[in-house]
Amino acid sequence: MLVPYFLLIFRSLGYLSGLGVNPVETIIHETGLWSIRFLMLTLLITPIAYYSGIGSIAKLGKPVGLMAFFYVLNHFLSYAMIDQAGDIGVIVVDIIETPYLIVGWGGFLCLLGVASVSFKRLENWFNQNRSTISGLVYGATILGVWHFYWQAKVVELESLIYSIILTGLILWRLRISTNRKQ
Amino acid sequence: MLESIDESDKLHLLVMKINETKIKIPSSEITSESAYLNRRKLIQSVGLFSLGLGLAESTFGQNQEIRLLKSMRNENYSTKETPNSFPDITTYNNFYEFGMQKSDPYMNSEMFEPKPWSVEVSGEANLTGTFDLEDLIDFNKLEERIYRLRCVEAWSMVIPWVGIPLFSILKKFEPFSSAKYISFETVYRPNEMPGQKRRILSWPYKEGLTIQEAMHPLALMAVGIYGKELLNQNGAPMRLVIPWKYGFKSIKSINKIHFQERQPRTSWNISAPKEYGFYANVNPLVDHPRWSQSRERRIGTGFFGAKQPTMPFNGYAEEVADLYSGLDLRKYY
Repeated sequence: MLVPYFLLIFRSLGYLSGLGVNPVETIIHETGLWSIRFLMLTLLITPIAYYSGIGSIAKLGKPVGLMAFFYVLNHFLSYAMIDQAGDIGVIVVDIIETPYLIVGWGGFLCLLGVASVSFKRLENWFNQNRSTISGLVYGATILGVWHFYWQAKVVELESLIYSIILTGLILWRLRISTNRKQ
Repeated sequence: MLESIDESDKLHLLVMKINETKIKIPSSEITSESAYLNRRKLIQSVGLFSLGLGLAESTFGQNQEIRLLKSMRNENYSTKETPNSFPDITTYNNFYEFGMQKSDPYMNSEMFEPKPWSVEVSGEANLTGTFDLEDLIDFNKLEERIYRLRCVEAWSMVIPWVGIPLFSILKKFEPFSSAKYISFETVYRPNEMPGQKRRILSWPYKEGLTIQEAMHPLALMAVGIYGKELLNQNGAPMRLVIPWKYGFKSIKSINKIHFQERQPRTSWNISAPKEYGFYANVNPLVDHPRWSQSRERRIGTGFFGAKQPTMPFNGYAEEVADLYSGLDLRKYY
């Protein structure tokens, strides 16, 4: 799961034809794209475990989810520290002025909540609040895909595909939970 | 007049001149200039356009010879800022006809055939009809102008264009007083422009200017960059350059010009009217609804290059602000 990350590091060192003409943009876009890909994968794990009958697959949710957080953290830090040169005042103004950044920031906070729960101390709480956790991951993915969709000038194919899959996942999830209640 | 490849000494002088005007040359620029000179040698020896720097020869994709263009630098209209390198300008830009990624025009434009080229001129003018490129552009009067280019996506470059003032072309058609606006269209060839196979924009790409804007001496019809003919990815064989407006106004690969009384609809305005207005003047005070326009990233400033403030009318306010006196620039963005 770290392969894209190491590829990016190799490219930033000038190998594999480098990061291109706008290296800052390349790093931000790549880390952002992989964040969303891993988030989508995290959400797909439950239905895969459900339909394949292999329950142990569900255990992958946590590491894949943490990987998504790792990319989101890199995404945010490269925006804050490189693109905005670490100037907190500038970052705050930029986020407030830019609607898709507010949405992205919201997604980041959701994941930050989930990731902090991964610490040992909070494990018990985590086990008792599984629905909150999965709600936060859903929240982060919805905001992430929205952020991705919204920053482009026109509808990009990849964000469209993720929106469709995400809608399907949400509908599936809702159906499962209503079935349980009955 | 078009120069043949063995007459490139003037080009060499031009490069030297660019170097002289620089107060301080960043090391990245020195590399690009030397690479540029290397390419010149390649043109001389092979007669084909190719390029070092790890960029594969075929990816430039031009099967035809890229000719050198003789031009005179117009110092009055040229910025003293350091121009971006040739690879920057030719591998990173928006040209949705070839795809939506900024490397797509460079990657996917090899099928495009810009020669021979003709332009259909119609509407409110005395002289209309179909004209060959050579009828429209006087290749003996080419000027080099180093302009800033500001993209609506908040990045910018400095580009040494070669072209002729737009007014010198337009006045040949003797437009009527009813010609208040001019609309331009990019050629529509889905077989050569793969991006046109998807309706991401209203094809063919349409842009427009008021007659006053089009007649302004800064408005340029470009046919080259860095003393060479435009590559496909940059809008070959002729494109507009309106330096005080966002880049999408500078329509590429133009094959239709129409004089008209009413304001024309433009592709980006049709796509998102609240985001892309007809005027689209560079304005740090009027944000794009989804992002700020107050700063820009100058391409080529490297990994830790800070963003710089965006200037009203992209720094051309002194020349063009008069065109918009009395116009509410918040309403007419």
